[in-house]
Amino acid sequence: MGSTLLRITFLFLLCAQLSWAADKDRSDTYEFVLSNGLKLIVREDHRAPTVAHMVWYRAGSIDEVNGKTGVAHVLEHMMFKGTDKVKAGEFSRLVAAVGGRENAFTSRDYTAYFQQVEKSKLNEVIKLEADRMSNLNFDDAEFLKEIQVVMEERRLRTEDNPNSLLNESLMATAYMSSPYRHPVVGWMNDLQNMTAADARDWYRSWYKPNNATVVITGDVDPKQVLATVEKYYGAVAAQDLPVRKPQVEPPQKGIKQVQVKAPADNAQLSMAWKAPRLEPGKLDDPEPYALELLTAVLDGYDNARLNRVLVKQEKVANDVGVGYDMISRGPELFEISVTMAKGKTVAQAQSSIRKAIENIQQKGILESELKRIKVRILSDQIYKRDSIFGQAMEIGSTEMAGFSWKNIDYMLEKMQTITPEQVQIVAKKYLVDEGLTIAVLDPQARKSTSKEGK
Amino acid sequence: MRALNQCIAAILLIFGVIASANAILPIEKLVVHKGAKAYLVQTKALPMVDIEVSIDAGDRYDPAGKSGLADMTAGLMNYGVRGDKGLLSEAQIADEIADLGANIGLSVGGERAILRIRTLSRKDLRDRAVQLAAAMLSAPTYDAKIVAREKQRTITNLLEAETKPEYVLERRFKKMVYGSYPLADTPSVQSVSAITASDLQRFHKQFYRSDRMIVSIVGDVDSTQANDIVQMLLKEIPQSGPAITPLPDLQRSPIEPLAQREVQIPFDSQQAHIAMGMTAVARNNPDFFPLLVGNYVLGGGGFVSRLMGEVREKRGLAYSVFSYFAPGKDNGIFQAGLQTKGDQGSIALEVMSDTIAKFIANGPTPNELVAAKANLINGYPLRIDNNRKLLDNVSSIAWNDLPLDTMEIWTKQVEAVTLEQVTAAFQKYLAMDRMKIVVLGAQNK
Repeated sequence: MGSTLLRITFLFLLCAQLSWAADKDRSDTYEFVLSNGLKLIVREDHRAPTVAHMVWYRAGSIDEVNGKTGVAHVLEHMMFKGTDKVKAGEFSRLVAAVGGRENAFTSRDYTAYFQQVEKSKLNEVIKLEADRMSNLNFDDAEFLKEIQVVMEERRLRTEDNPNSLLNESLMATAYMSSPYRHPVVGWMNDLQNMTAADARDWYRSWYKPNNATVVITGDVDPKQVLATVEKYYGAVAAQDLPVRKPQVEPPQKGIKQVQVKAPADNAQLSMAWKAPRLEPGKLDDPEPYALELLTAVLDGYDNARLNRVLVKQEKVANDVGVGYDMISRGPELFEISVTMAKGKTVAQAQSSIRKAIENIQQKGILESELKRIKVRILSDQIYKRDSIFGQAMEIGSTEMAGFSWKNIDYMLEKMQTITPEQVQIVAKKYLVDEGLTIAVLDPQARKSTSKEGK
Repeated sequence: MRALNQCIAAILLIFGVIASANAILPIEKLVVHKGAKAYLVQTKALPMVDIEVSIDAGDRYDPAGKSGLADMTAGLMNYGVRGDKGLLSEAQIADEIADLGANIGLSVGGERAILRIRTLSRKDLRDRAVQLAAAMLSAPTYDAKIVAREKQRTITNLLEAETKPEYVLERRFKKMVYGSYPLADTPSVQSVSAITASDLQRFHKQFYRSDRMIVSIVGDVDSTQANDIVQMLLKEIPQSGPAITPLPDLQRSPIEPLAQREVQIPFDSQQAHIAMGMTAVARNNPDFFPLLVGNYVLGGGGFVSRLMGEVREKRGLAYSVFSYFAPGKDNGIFQAGLQTKGDQGSIALEVMSDTIAKFIANGPTPNELVAAKANLINGYPLRIDNNRKLLDNVSSIAWNDLPLDTMEIWTKQVEAVTLEQVTAAFQKYLAMDRMKIVVLGAQNK
């Protein structure tokens, strides 16, 4: 593998050669703030005559209160159910008529709506989206039907999905006070008791221009886009938002464990440690970057540590996954999840995971492992430019977490400065039992499943 | 270290200034090499290239009793190869791919196995990624220990899948709709257990020949470079081999009494899952466009289809409801489906059946036809607006033997579709008394 290092050096040299041409600021991205507080970010990309248009509201399940979990997501559904001018279902018909693709998504941190269209149709969808920012008007009958749809969505994605059930219990166990303990889709009982008024209250509280960021990427002229956005979104008045209580999660003081019994063949194990996130204004804090890199060292490619040791060498796990996202509004977990290999126990898998972590804590990681991850991060910077939708997603989610899109490049640079020692330090500091929650799926046979022979 | 990022910014600046390409990019036919056809779309805006090799070695070639063989043959190609510099272990391959900043993915469908490379276009990085892929395609080792490990993993996944409603539904539906065609058989614990390392060697030798391969390339390379890539990929691969027994034709789903077409599977999930469908058409069928436009109206058009309107918008019965044609090179099927609370299974099936039956009988309304065509035509640029999507298109055109100007004339073909053609095509290919129906987990009262 001697040639590997050489190739990495090539890539580094190439970069050094080209760096003279780099401009400090990105010249293809523009930011504006309208007088009503709405933020607009436009990224020009003229490779194809298409545009992605998104509006992001900084209102997700983190902003919900007890008894009304799931309301952010329910409102997302209701946003397609009519305004003063556009009747129920008409929004989607109009977007479809211009050839658009549309949808919406709700997370813990935000709710976002998007359309992708051929560039000449952009004004049309801006007009529609701006209309439902302030003129949503659905009737109770529409709500009663749609809440059934949302419950079907919960049945499909959670109730009949042991993996989701496990994750739901993990979150509810790991967090005591943070609203992150509630599922985005909401608890079934809260959905059963939700009213149209709950959804309307949510809309009136959060759907304001001063709580929204519009992101437009693609084949556009920023000046023209600004004019159109001002024309349609600019007419809406700003309004004070409800006070967001910090609801900071108290420090965990020892291992928590939870078990979930659900129909499945194979046990699953999730180990999740409380971990810091990147704080806006503290972009030089090395820890979140080191944790991101640790994620990739454990699980970033086929021969990364956990896959190599647990799946291929010890054959104790069938599949391994590692998750950590340094950017979010609420608290973060560093999570390792495995499904057991046939005949292996949860205890065996846990012991292998712990051994792999201890190995890093005691011996650190190799310079070559870290370089490999860094090269991948660099090449991904080019690959991600292939999708204007992906770029809009990155800009929007970064903004919602309280950062600027302008920080993205800085964060990536910062990532390249992290050393193996810094990765070892975060592994030592955070992957410890005080902040650990363990969730285990205990598989149950289905009661009435007929044996379906082939 | 700042230089690294400036490097990326610089690359983007240099490549980013090339003017917008609003015209549909042409597909270039490359030199046929060792019997393999090859195609290129040049896009210079980003310093990257996507390369796909399609191999005529899909699941339908699984021998009887060894379902899963085609999947494993492709899926294990990156777990050890004999390269030009000797053996490369699975760990070495994975590390090298990662060090190049490249991705190499393997997948298998009913008709073909697919290898995809995404790499930076710089020659040294690109060449090495292509060499690694070439070694996988020509000389996988299929080490017995690794085969045993991956068999066990596959079996474990299968046992898990068998507890999932969507998997059990789909497996039964396939069995019914494909009848005596090889795709009726899906992998089972028994069939995967029966597969040996020498089965993999044999299957690979039999099917992984350049006369069964097609190469599609999209990205920052010119035709000379693209031809070099094709040669490098196929260098060590034999051009032909022993004759392969032709596959049987897929027999049209017969007219049958409901009791013979419908299956109820008890399952204690919260939701009932429903699948309905029958054999339909291949991609090169002249009725492809009328069926595409018609299905947009019936169940393909996102939030605005008839099925969505009847099942979800009017009645709140399901989160997801859909219909589609899945046309392949040689044949294809039509399928519709939904999931609903267990005790609503019967009513949901009734609404779905009525909606489909009505559509087959009467076709779309003139307004629906106009709306469908408007969506498909206005939205066409979204199907080809990045390298990944272009590769999907080139690959489909190459595999299905479609004209090279398919992307250019696509909207015209949609525009030309008439109401009569849609209705006639639906009546020609679909019929309610031929539809296979699987209902899983319904709590019938």
